[in-house]
Amino acid sequence: MTTPPHLNAPKKRQRFRTPLSAAAILSATVLTACSGTSGLVSAEQVADRQPADGPQSGGIIEYGHLQEPKCVYGGWIQENFTARQILDSLVSQDADGKIVPWLATDWEVSEDQLVWTLTLRDDVSFTDGTPVDAEAVAYNFDHWLDGGNGTAAAHLGGFYEDSSAVDEHTVEVHLSAPFSPFLSTLSQSYFGIQSPTALETRSEEENCRAPIGSGPFTVQAWESGQYLEFVRNEDYNSAPANAKHQGPAYVEGIRWSFIPDNTSRYGSLLSEESDVIGEVPAVNIAQARERFDFEQYITPGRPVVINLNTEKGAFADQQVRQALSFATDREANIESAFLGTVPFEPSGYLSQSTPDYDVDAATEYPFDLDRADELLDEAGWTERAEDGTRLKAGERLEVVFTYGLNTIVTPDGNTAIQNFQEQARDAGFDIQLRPLTPSENSSGAFSGPDAYDAQVGYWTSPHAGILNINYRPGTEDQPNGANTTFLVDEGVFATIQEALQAPTSEDVTKHFSQAQHELSELAPAIGLYTQTNTIAVSDELSDVWLEESQGSPVFHDAYFRAEESVTEEEG
Amino acid sequence: MTTTLNGPADQRSPTQHSTTQKPTTVASQLYSSLQSRRPKSRLRQVPLTVWIAAVFALVLLIASLAPSLLATHDPRAIRLEAPLASPNWEHWFGTDQSGRDLYSRMVHGAGQSLLIGLGATGIGVGLAVIFGAWAGLGGRWADAFIGRGLDVFFAFPTLLLAMVFITVYGPSAPTLILAVGLGTAPGYTRMVRGQILAVRHSGYVQAAEALGHSPWRILNRHILPNALRPLLAILTLGIGQSIVWASGLAFLGFGVAPPSPEWGALLEAGRPYITEAWWLEILPGLAVLATALTATILGKHLESALEGSQT
Repeated sequence: MTTPPHLNAPKKRQRFRTPLSAAAILSATVLTACSGTSGLVSAEQVADRQPADGPQSGGIIEYGHLQEPKCVYGGWIQENFTARQILDSLVSQDADGKIVPWLATDWEVSEDQLVWTLTLRDDVSFTDGTPVDAEAVAYNFDHWLDGGNGTAAAHLGGFYEDSSAVDEHTVEVHLSAPFSPFLSTLSQSYFGIQSPTALETRSEEENCRAPIGSGPFTVQAWESGQYLEFVRNEDYNSAPANAKHQGPAYVEGIRWSFIPDNTSRYGSLLSEESDVIGEVPAVNIAQARERFDFEQYITPGRPVVINLNTEKGAFADQQVRQALSFATDREANIESAFLGTVPFEPSGYLSQSTPDYDVDAATEYPFDLDRADELLDEAGWTERAEDGTRLKAGERLEVVFTYGLNTIVTPDGNTAIQNFQEQARDAGFDIQLRPLTPSENSSGAFSGPDAYDAQVGYWTSPHAGILNINYRPGTEDQPNGANTTFLVDEGVFATIQEALQAPTSEDVTKHFSQAQHELSELAPAIGLYTQTNTIAVSDELSDVWLEESQGSPVFHDAYFRAEESVTEEEG
Repeated sequence: MTTTLNGPADQRSPTQHSTTQKPTTVASQLYSSLQSRRPKSRLRQVPLTVWIAAVFALVLLIASLAPSLLATHDPRAIRLEAPLASPNWEHWFGTDQSGRDLYSRMVHGAGQSLLIGLGATGIGVGLAVIFGAWAGLGGRWADAFIGRGLDVFFAFPTLLLAMVFITVYGPSAPTLILAVGLGTAPGYTRMVRGQILAVRHSGYVQAAEALGHSPWRILNRHILPNALRPLLAILTLGIGQSIVWASGLAFLGFGVAPPSPEWGALLEAGRPYITEAWWLEILPGLAVLATALTATILGKHLESALEGSQT
């Protein structure tokens, strides 16, 4: 595959070759030479530089990313990141979590909360020329629920009934039951709107590798294992209301390189091969804060937790689950493993950045080894083997923890899990760790109740409705692969449904709070740390930001600063 | 005047063994010759590198059989308040990302690394003897069949072959041993086949055949002992090579599960911290290097010694 010529052009030269910048440099050189006083800036120079401080057009952003997606658009968080660059959604979330317009300019919900009416912009087209209208949006809703996006279906499944175009720019979405986080759900890029023409006429492979949306960039090329190239959509006119500017992106494109090795990725920023990197390694964060523009996003939804198999094995016993929850000093563990750069998350259910997070429910299991011992004694694990492992009827309290290493759990997370393993020995747990290779993790071979005693994972979501995804009991007709604890509890499920269908935000909070307490009592999961997204940005680049629903990096507003203004700041 | 006074009769000459008389020129030569024939003198001729390798091998042996004699800390004990501490008086090789003592982990990891090296080499050489002997003695069709099979295996890089095996059967120490053993077997098989073909057409085998010895007796008494002797040295070299390969696989994430202190696993675990904690990569890396060098030096020396004994 050949790389387009403009993306191959030398980056530094390409950036600042505007006549204005050249004039500013020339002026500064001459004046400095005449005055013989270096460091002084003339009024003319200041005047010349003013425009250079603003957004400059042009340049290719070199972005170093940890993982390669399977498709540019899909149900995995990595696919959410790439989809954000090329697809527009109906709504967006601002920094305060407030829903703001994007493709939908207005919305209202019926009194019974079963019909959402969305008014769309009338001036937006997909990059293949298809208009973004009510028919297209209704088509996308059906597409998501009919297998087009597993995560979108996990959010709306059980609630979505159908959708229809009221007129060219008004769409109605019909639900079978009220769903309070409807708009927040739609703000994620899993709900990015694609061209129905492309979905109908192109192959699955084509729509996987280069989906057609109305977003600020389009996919130019994808070299598997190396990089994705996005090129600017010159006709872009539909940025969300919380964007920093309207109109096409300032930069001409993005080279989204896959650099899975932490050291190499951070090294690429130090060596200026990358302008931005994601997933800054914990060990480098202190330096990154000093040398670069550093931003950290605490992802809402389920944090990184240990999901205990409540169906089979030792953790089928609630007391054993509670004992393990008490058995280790998780706060000290996370502080040490991440060198203080990632927050400890005591809750096994919701991350502290999730709306309706209940801090009391989250902190019900402080480090208490005596309490862990009591619970294990009561559960019948009274004897100890020579190595300190507890025994019950001659059976060792040996449990297997699985986790996708470098896919779900970072190397720092791996350290936290090993610390947990070692600390739990004092209570008499013999934890066997089984890191999964990427192929093992995605194969599904380690997803059933016979495959593990505990599994480490997270699931991002902008709202507490994630509890419905993670704790909806699976049935034969509707298996729930997201219920990794295999917990089946009608009481908890009913409380979560009450929260999702509550008429007021106060009621929503009350029921979600109750659900967290009920889950905490059952102890199917143990919180470790918040899933975070981080970026470190070179000082040549401005206005890269992380969006609020999932923490995707947004490059539409980004621009390269004039070299002289960078130098001036550094001086 | 003869200058080759080194026969047994000359050695027994009383005049040459006087403690009061200095040796003459001829006697000096004889004296040197005598010295070279004594066991003590032969030990003196052993190069210093071999001595160093032997001492290191002894340390490795102790670390493998009785690690607690050398280790200063529990290799699993974590110290959350001291992650990534640089080498100091308490932790000679520093601590890892969990605050575990790196030196003690390396000592405890020696046994597992050596076991992987020995096990993998044993499997590789064992398979090689079976298939190499079959190819060398089984006739034209067997030779062609095994030869083409080896060609197929050689088409795949050994490391890739091992990675496929581990992906299918899951990472663990036995899998790692099997994977590396299977990966090295084709190379050894080709060597064994060559040796057996060379020995098979030797005069003493033809003589045995002429005397009517049974094929089994000829194989056991004449062919295998003579064909496999050079393999003793190669086997020693292979141990070091297998440790390096196993470490490489662990470095790529195909090694034994944490918190195993196997050296490759240590290298893999330390990789993300290389810019801030050099000791996590350099010191286990040096241990792997030193072990591979030790095996190589001892193997080469053994090879020379065996060649010497043959002549």
